Amino acid sequence: MTISCSRGVDRIETVKTEVKRAPLNLDKPAVPKQEELNWIIINSENAEEVFAKLKEKGTDPVLFGLTDDEYEDLSMNFAQIRNYIIQQNFVLDKYKEYYESEEVNGTVEKR
Amino acid sequence: MFGQLKLILIGITLLGATGGVAYVYKLKADNAILKENQIKLEEAVNEQQQVIAQQKQDFESILEANKELNKLSASLQKDLDVLDDKFNKTNASGKKRDIGDLANARPSTIERIINRATSNAQRCVDIAMGSPLTEKELNATKKSEINSECPSLANPNFIDY
Repeated sequence: MTISCSRGVDRIETVKTEVKRAPLNLDKPAVPKQEELNWIIINSENAEEVFAKLKEKGTDPVLFGLTDDEYEDLSMNFAQIRNYIIQQNFVLDKYKEYYESEEVNGTVEKR
Repeated sequence: MFGQLKLILIGITLLGATGGVAYVYKLKADNAILKENQIKLEEAVNEQQQVIAQQKQDFESILEANKELNKLSASLQKDLDVLDDKFNKTNASGKKRDIGDLANARPSTIERIINRATSNAQRCVDIAMGSPLTEKELNATKKSEINSECPSLANPNFIDY
């Protein structure tokens, strides 16, 4: 009792240590293999010849058509999707560089 | 009477001396606190300076990233304009190119052209998705060597004058 009365209660000290978030480091998806495409132009004059060739090859004698304007639109759409992928990739890279770069001696070192 | 006065004087002197000692101790304690405060203030200033430097660096990085994104967007828009121009080019006589007319007149020639263009466009998408450039693409400097669907992407060494 004498001992417990003479000694006060110890003060608990807590220390806060900043722990950096682990970088996400997701791998970019593998580039998919695209199948080769082959356009066939068909007009009123070559239609029979085109279908005869298809039959010769053993392909179903049927074609999925686009008008010239629609072909142009498809090309532009395809190019815009491509540009979007490029910009999206660029933005992702920049975010990774900005948020997952390593801090060394108060300065930011790019990985 | 004289004895009492003497005691009072001694008391006053002792009280004064004790007060003086207490005052010196207080000054010492104040001085230690002031020194501690000074160190803390210096540390705070130093930390603030580091934060300001970091903010400045971050701001510069953001500006630079925006600048690069704008540059990329401009070069991609240029590729789109080139493609649009291929379909709607106006010839010397002022007539707009009509790919439908051309395809109707020369289907096999146009077929060959658009199949090559499609193959090139597919390669552009491959590159956009991360496929590395080939030696041939890297070394292309002439118009006849480039991927005409996306030269800014596929042929970084080609300069269109």
